[in-house]
Parts: sequence; C-alpha cells; structure tokens
Amino acid sequence: MKKERDHFYRLPKVARTFQYGFYMTVGIVLLVVVLNLVICIVSMFVYVKKNVTNIGGGEVREALLVTEDGYALTYEMSQKLAEKEQWAMLLDGEGHELWSYQKPAELADSYSRTDIARMTRWYLDGYPVWLRVWEDEIMVVGMEKDTVWKYPVEFSISWIDYLKQVGLYFLLINIAWIVLLAALFTRRFMRNRERARIEWIAGISHDIRTPLSMVMGYADTLEKNGELSEEARQQAAVIRHQSVVMKELIADLNLTSQLEYSMQPLRREHVRPAQTLRSVAAAFLNDDSEGNLQIEVEIDGKAEQTALSADEQLLQRTFRNLILNSIKHSGHSEALEIRIRMWEERRHLWICFEDNGAGYSEEVLRRLRNQKKKDAGPNIRGLEIVKKIVTAHGGRVRFGNREEGGSFCEMRFVRS
Amino acid sequence: MDLYEHKILLVDDEPALRRMVGGFLTKAGFQNVVYAGNCLEAEAACRREAPHLILLDVMLPDGDGFSLFDRLHRETEAPVIFLSARDEDESRLRGLGLGADDYITKPFLPEELILRVTAVLKRVYRIREEKQEERVIDLGDSVIDLGSGVVRRRHTADSANAEADGNGSEERDAAALNIEATLTAKEYAIIEKLSENRGRIVTIDALCDAVWREGNFGYENTLIVHIRRLREKLEEDPSHPKHLLTVRGLGYKLV
Repeated sequence: MKKERDHFYRLPKVARTFQYGFYMTVGIVLLVVVLNLVICIVSMFVYVKKNVTNIGGGEVREALLVTEDGYALTYEMSQKLAEKEQWAMLLDGEGHELWSYQKPAELADSYSRTDIARMTRWYLDGYPVWLRVWEDEIMVVGMEKDTVWKYPVEFSISWIDYLKQVGLYFLLINIAWIVLLAALFTRRFMRNRERARIEWIAGISHDIRTPLSMVMGYADTLEKNGELSEEARQQAAVIRHQSVVMKELIADLNLTSQLEYSMQPLRREHVRPAQTLRSVAAAFLNDDSEGNLQIEVEIDGKAEQTALSADEQLLQRTFRNLILNSIKHSGHSEALEIRIRMWEERRHLWICFEDNGAGYSEEVLRRLRNQKKKDAGPNIRGLEIVKKIVTAHGGRVRFGNREEGGSFCEMRFVRS
Repeated sequence: MDLYEHKILLVDDEPALRRMVGGFLTKAGFQNVVYAGNCLEAEAACRREAPHLILLDVMLPDGDGFSLFDRLHRETEAPVIFLSARDEDESRLRGLGLGADDYITKPFLPEELILRVTAVLKRVYRIREEKQEERVIDLGDSVIDLGSGVVRRRHTADSANAEADGNGSEERDAAALNIEATLTAKEYAIIEKLSENRGRIVTIDALCDAVWREGNFGYENTLIVHIRRLREKLEEDPSHPKHLLTVRGLGYKLV
C-alpha cells in the first residue's frame, strides 16, 4: 500500500515551542553582535572626529602667508595648533628649515634626504609627524612624543582577496556557533521548564488521589448500604461514578503532560502487538453484555510474530481509546462493528481500526490535524492521547473517514 | 487457617484513609487488621504483630515505601501490596521487579482492594476453596471433572435409544454418561483456564501462557491441535462445537 506522507500527523508541539525559543536566542545574539559592531564603529568615528584628527600639513601651509618679512601664520591657525599641542615646520627642497612654529628645541634645523625619507613614514626623533609636499617645499606637522602610534600599512591585493574569502567562512562559522549555542541553551531552558511543569501536574494529581480515594470508597459504601433510601443510594452511585470519571481524567492529565513534553519514560520492552490487541479486543467483547459490539480482528501471519520495542501499557491504552471512541460515537444504536487489521510491510507494522459509526466530524479532524489551542469544541482527549502515544513511539497515525461511512485510524510503527 | 483469620498490616500516613480501608477490610470479614502511620511504626508493628499481609503506601512521611519494603522483606516473608497515588510508581511497580505481590493505584473501589487482598492471600498461603461444584464443569451433554481430569459424555446414540424405549430419565442418565475420556496435562490446563473464565473469551495468548507458561511464542498451531482433541472428547459433533467455541482472530470461549 502506498501512503502519502503528508497525510500523517506529526506532533510539532514541543518542536514548535523549541523553535520559538531557538529563533529568539539566535535573533538576540545576532542583534547584539550587529548592535555592538555598529556602536563600535560609530563611536570610533565620533571619537576620531572629536579628538584625534590632527591638523594636516596642507591646512597649515594654506594658513602660512608669505610676507615681506618672511612667513607668517594666521592667528586662527596658531591658536588651533596650540590647542592641539601640535608644532609645524617648513622645509625647502634641500631639507633646510624655512619656518617653524613651536618646534621642539631638540630638533635640528636641516635634514638630509635620508632623514626626510625616514620621517615620511615613521617618526622624527620620536615625534609623530605628517608631511605634505607643497610645490618644492615640505610642510612637516608634528605632535608631542608618545601621543600617536604610527604604523604604515600595506597589503597585497591577493591577500585582501584571500581575506574576503576567509572572512566569509569566518562569518559562517560564527553563525554556526551562534546557532549551536542557541540550540543548546534553549533546549536546556525548555527542559527545565518542562520538568517543572510535569512535576507540578504530577504533584497535583498525586494530592488529589488520596482524597478522591475516600470520596470513591465511601460513595461506594453508601451506594451498597441497604438502610438508605433508594434515592440516596442512587445519588451515592452518581458520586461514585463521577469519581471514577475524575480518576480517569487525572490519569489522562498526567499522561498527556508527560507525553506532550516527551518526558514520559517509555517503559519499552519486547511487545507483540498482536497479543496486546487480542487481549484488549477480548476484554471489550467480554464486557459487552448486550452483544451490540462486534470486533473483528485480522492479523496477517507475519504481523502475528512482529515485535515492537514499546510500552505495552501505553499500547493497550491506544487500542482501548480507539475502541472506546468508536463506541462513544457509534452514531446509531444498531450493532457497532469494529474491524481491526494488522499487517506487516517491509520495516513497518501497520494497524488499522475501522468502524461503521458516524465518523469523525470535520471539526474533530481539523483539531487532530493541527495543534491549535483548543478552547472549546468537541472533546478529543482520547484520540489526542492515541496520537501522542504513537508519536512517542516513533510511529505515525492518520485519522479519517471511510468512503462507505464510519471512521478509520491507521497507525504505522517501525518494527524492532 | 481460614482466609479471614490472616492478620493484615495497613501502612498509610493518612488517618482517614486508614480508617476507611480498615473499615472495608473488617466489613469484608478480615478481623485482624493492624495499622501503622510511618516507616518506624511499620517496622515495629511488623516485628510485634507478624502480619500475614502488608498493605503499604508508597509515600510515607519518614521515607518511601520502596526502601521500607526492602527492610521489611529482610524480617518477614509476608506478601506486600503497594498502595500508590502516583502514575510514576505504577511504571516501577508494573514489573513488580521489587518482589511485591501486587499494587493498587489510588483511588480504588473497595471491591478492587478486597479482591486483590484475597487473591494474594490465597496464592501465597495456598488456600484453595475446593468446592466440588467448581471443580466439576457441567456442560449439559458432557461433564468435566477437574478433580480427576476425566470427561464423561452422554452418548447420543444411547440417549436416543433410551428415549425410544421410553425408559425413565434416571436410568438413562446413568447409562448415558458412559463415554469416558482422560484429559492430557495440556488439555487439562486449557480447560482449567477456559472454565475459570467460563462464558468469556480467553485469548490464544492467555491460553498458551497457561499451558506453556513462559516463552509461549509460536505455540498457536499446537494449541489448535490440542483444542481439536479436546473437542473430540467434549463435543457431540467436534466439527460443529457447541461448548468450546472459536472466537475468530481472538481465542476461545467455553459456554
């Protein structure tokens, strides 16, 4: 039989919450990184603009006027230089000083070609200097010692190309790291939260059980007390019945919460589902005193021997819930027929429940298909548990309506 | 010793629950019920009273029932039934790998409690209510005596003759139950299991379990052979059985 994958329902609940946390974390980390980069770059520019920029040689040269008495610096420029604690000197083409302003006394008045060549890139006797050639003169602007770190930088073009490539890998590796760490942290966080929640629910259900024992026990006693009036006994019967309902609700709540967060420690053992199915079906038939129920079990020869590594109790629960659901929604009062088939196909064990009841309503199917929060609407707790159990076992389940009427539920397990 | 003379120790920290469970036990006929509210009391009571059965709550104020169980087990061989209020315990108890005899999950109905207590006592102290009517299964046209493992069947031809002769029914009965067949050990086990659940479906697996105990894997075909032989002994017409019925796909039923 060929099955379309898309039709199978998965259990994305945990995954979705996880995804949410995961994307959040990745997003936050990326945001922080980008923000940091931006702040870093912006603040650098702001600082540089404010503090570091020195007055260049060209600027000084422009402010230097040639008068009859020689060179004269404008008042504003001299103020500016003083403010920045900069000094300046003008050399002619031969390296002789033509003019200077606040030049440190230890510096010479004339420089050889080698001196000039050296100072263009480095320092002049420890003073950081910037040179500007102006026609045949050289304007030298300097600062105090130990104020500026100078290092001439040059790169080969191929190295820059190489850097671009490496940079890309570097970026990718970084992103991978972020993703990995985000996944780890989110998982850890989720685990803790899930555990707390499960324990909370388990605690509540535990605390309810002891008082409920007494409600149930005494209601039963009252129901059987011949001295009471018929009416009182009937009321006691209602209490007893409802306390049984509550007991089941608590068990369901506990199981659902544990399965939902995939924390149920599946007590996996070697199970032959054929056996389990037969015992469940027989129990239903044995309890059906009116004989309205008909269960047909067909297990093919291979499936008979198939073993699963599964939690037998939960498997039983699955089968029971499906039969119970068929009984609950049998639709008409006539005899209910349930047909259960089990067959093996390659690595899979298929189990299909079919009935001739009213079938699932559109609403139920929609709810089973997607994981929307259910505020109101049909109660499908039993079927959801089926879905969760099958999924927890790594299987898949599909619900639907048969063309000839009635519903079906098809499950697929990977055999061990 | 009579079933109801056995002494039962009930360990639970909730006084109201103790009172209730004690009430159920007394009402059911158990006259010797002693109580303990915690591990300490339980150990003392165990030494002092030497109970025949212990009902033990898993959660106690001064320790958990599992470790108490280990300690108690060193002193007494009395069977233990756990009372548990948590599903998590259920998974631990399910295998009963601890050596506990049974467990009951709260909340429970009185019948369930009494049923389990009685079953464990019967099993452990081998109390058999050997009521004759239970050991003899009357299927109408054949009678199975589980005491001796013999099937007696009225012979159709004989009864037909008897009726034709117009003789009295007593005479006919005496003469009719004349075909005797002895059950083999396997057939005996099958019929015993089916009669315990008379009128109810017993699955193939449960039958194989009863006959071959463990590792009943792949005995289904052998079971069919045994069932056929049984029918030959029980049924008037083995190919159209009236008593040992096949429930297709599930198992067998004795009616």
